Amino acid sequence: MRNLLAKIKRRVSSSDDARTDGGSTTSSKSLLRRDSVRSAPFWLPPFLLVGLFVYGAILWNVMLSLTDFEGLGQPDYSDLDFENYTIAFDGGTPSWSDFSIDPIWNATQNTLVLMIAFTVVCLALGLVMAILVDRNIRFENTFRTIYLLPMSLSFVVTAKFWLYMYDYSDGLVNVALGAVGLGPVEIVQNPELKLGAVTFALIWQYSGYAMVVYLAGLRAIPSSHFEAARVDGASTLRMYWRVIIPQLRTATVSAMVVLVVFALKAFDFLYSMYGGYNPGPSADILATQMVREAYGNGNWAYGSAIAVILFIMALSVVAPYIYSQYKRGQL
Amino acid sequence: MSDNKTILSRRNVLRATGAATVGMLAGCGGGDDGTEPIELLHAWSEGDGNAAIAALIEGFQEEYPDVEFAEEPVNGAARSNLDQVMQNRLQSNDPPSTFQTWPGKTLEKFSEAYADIEGDVWNDDLKENYRSGPQAQAQYDGTYVAVPINIHRINNLFYNTSVVNEAGVDPTTWESPSDVVDGCATIAENTDAVPFAHQTSGAWSTSQLWETVLLAVAGPDGYDDYINGEGAESDVRTALENVVELSEYFPDNSSSISFTEANTMVQEGNAAFIHQGDWAAGAYSANDEFNYGEDWNHVPYPGTSGSYLLNMDSFPYLDNNPSPEATKDFLSYCGTTDAQIRFNREKGSIPPREDADVSQLNQFQQDQFDDFTSADAQPPSIQHGLAVVPAVQTNVGEAFSSFIESYDADATTTDLMNAFN
Repeated sequence: MRNLLAKIKRRVSSSDDARTDGGSTTSSKSLLRRDSVRSAPFWLPPFLLVGLFVYGAILWNVMLSLTDFEGLGQPDYSDLDFENYTIAFDGGTPSWSDFSIDPIWNATQNTLVLMIAFTVVCLALGLVMAILVDRNIRFENTFRTIYLLPMSLSFVVTAKFWLYMYDYSDGLVNVALGAVGLGPVEIVQNPELKLGAVTFALIWQYSGYAMVVYLAGLRAIPSSHFEAARVDGASTLRMYWRVIIPQLRTATVSAMVVLVVFALKAFDFLYSMYGGYNPGPSADILATQMVREAYGNGNWAYGSAIAVILFIMALSVVAPYIYSQYKRGQL
Repeated sequence: MSDNKTILSRRNVLRATGAATVGMLAGCGGGDDGTEPIELLHAWSEGDGNAAIAALIEGFQEEYPDVEFAEEPVNGAARSNLDQVMQNRLQSNDPPSTFQTWPGKTLEKFSEAYADIEGDVWNDDLKENYRSGPQAQAQYDGTYVAVPINIHRINNLFYNTSVVNEAGVDPTTWESPSDVVDGCATIAENTDAVPFAHQTSGAWSTSQLWETVLLAVAGPDGYDDYINGEGAESDVRTALENVVELSEYFPDNSSSISFTEANTMVQEGNAAFIHQGDWAAGAYSANDEFNYGEDWNHVPYPGTSGSYLLNMDSFPYLDNNPSPEATKDFLSYCGTTDAQIRFNREKGSIPPREDADVSQLNQFQQDQFDDFTSADAQPPSIQHGLAVVPAVQTNVGEAFSSFIESYDADATTTDLMNAFN
C-alpha cells in the first residue's frame, strides 16, 4: 500500500516539476505498455464479470435486505434501515407486515451444528481414509472410486436413499440396530435424531471428497520426508502426526472451504427428504428459513437479510483460515 | 405407427424450439399487436393433470378454432415453482394470459395483478350455477377474478372393504372422529393390517387430516371462525388430540413413506383406512383389480357428512393481459359444463357447476357430485390454500412440521392459534 502511494507521488511530482537532470525515461514510458495494462484483455473481462455478477449481486442483496420489499412491485431504495436485522434477532412484527416473524436463532443453531459437525467429521474421516489408501494397499484405485462415488450422486438421490435407509420397519440402519439387539428407532421425524441423521448422510456423501484432496496432498510430499522420519526412528503414528499432517495444511483449507459450501447447500437435501422447505424445527436451517420467507411468504427483504447473515457466517468460518494461509505465503 | 410417432415428436421438438426462439424475439421487440396467442402457465406436466388440461384445451379449440394457444407447463414443476415463475413474470411486467392457481385466499399473493371479470366472464349463468362455496372462492375481496375449474374433496375416508369386513367394523355407521380411533383399535386387534395408512415425511397429509377433524369437531361454523382467525382454542386442541390418538395407528414407517406408498398399502390390503383428497381414488381407478364398491369404498370423514371440504384449481384473469379478448373467451369456456366435464373426467375431481351432466364421469365421481350438490356447507381447505392467506398457511405448515416430530398437542395448539398473528 505504502509502495503504491510512493509510486503515485513520484509520478505526480515528476510530471509537474521540471527536472534539471532530465528526469528518468521510465516515467515517460507509456501507461499502455505496462504489463498489467497489456494483459488487460485477458484478466479484465472475467474480473468485471465476476465483479458484477458475484460481488455486485452480494452488494445488491445487502441493499435489498435494508429495504421493506415484500410481495409484488419494486423495492424502494430511498428508505433504508436495519429493521430486518432487528426482526431477525428479536422476532416481532415488522412495519411492512401484519404478521409476526420468527427470529433466526433456532435455524442458526442448527446451521452451525450441521456445518461444524459435517466439516470436522468429513475432514477427519477423509484424512484417515487417505492415509490408509496411500499405504500401497491392493486395489487402491477401486477403494478410491468406492469412497468417492457417493459424491457423484445428487442430493435428491441421496436424500431419497437415506429416507429408505432410515425406514423404521425395513431400513438398513434399523435392521443393523436390530442385529445388535437395539429396538427399531424412529429417525426421520425424531426431534433428537433428525439433524444428526441428516449430518450423517451428508458425511457419507462427502467424506470421499476430503479423502481425494488429502490423497493429492499426501502424494505431493516427497518420499524423502517419510524416509527421514523413519531413519530418525519415528513410529508410524508419530511420523504422520509430526511430519506429514502438518504439511497438509493447504489441502485442509481447500477441502474445508468446499465442505462448508456443501453444508450450506444442505437445503437441497432437506427439501428432498422432507418434501418441501419445512423440515420441522429440529432440522430447520437458515437456508430453508430463507426460502420459506422469500418464496413462501414473499418477504423478499427479510429473506435477503437471512441470506446476508448466512453469507457472513460462511465468511467468518473461511476468512480466518484463508488469512492465516496468506500470512504464511501458502496461497 | 411408431415411425410416425418419432417423426411427429421430432417435429414437435422443432416446433417447440421455433416457438421458443420466436418467443425470445417477441420478448425483445415487445410486440403487442393484439393477435397474441393465449399463454397459459400450468404445472400439470404429467399424469392425470396433464391429460385433463389437454382435454380442456382440445375442447376450447373446437369451440374457438381461431384462437391460438400456447400452453406452457412449467418444467419440473410443482405448484411452488409455478408461483416463482409467476412472481418473476409479474415483477418484470410480463404477465401470461392466465395460469393455474388455487383460488380463495391464495389470490392474495398476486392480488394487485388481477382484474375484475364480473359481467364479461362471471355472467348470470355462472352465478346461478356455481354453488355459493365455490363462487365465494372465485372472488378476491368481493371481486370476481378467477374461474374455478374443478373441485377435489378433502374430507374423505377411503377403506379397503375386505380388511374392514375381516375386522368386523362398519365405517358407514360412524359419526365422529373418535369412532375412527375406536375402529382403528378394532382393526389392530382383529387383523394384521395397518389400521390407518398415513405418511409423515412431509407435513401436508397431517395438516389436511387435522383440518378435516377440526371440521367435524367444530362444525362448519366453528371451522369458519377458525379460518377467520377467531377459532375456539378448545376445538383446535380437541381436534389435535384426536389426531395424536389416531397416530398410534399410523404405519410404523410413516416418516419414510410418501402418499403414494401409503395409498398402495390400502390397495394391497396391507392397510384398512386412508384419509386423503379424492385424488387417492384416481390411483384406485387405474388399478383394474381394485374396484369401487367391491374392493374399496368411501365415507365422508365421520362427523363431516354434511360438508364438502373444497380444494380447487382455477384460472384467474390478469390485468395488463397480453390477449385480453382471447383470455376472456377461454375463461368463459372454462365456466361451461362442457369444459368442466372434459377436464374432470381426466382429473378425477368434480365440476363446480351444479347443472353439469355427470353421466360421463365414473361412478365414484357421480356419487361425490351427488354429495356435493346436497352438501349443506362447502368450506374451503386450509392446507390447500383456499381458506387462509399464504403467510398464515406458512405458519400452519410450520406448526405441523413441528407436530409430526413430537405430537405435542398443547404446543401445536398454541402455534395454530398464533398462526394468524
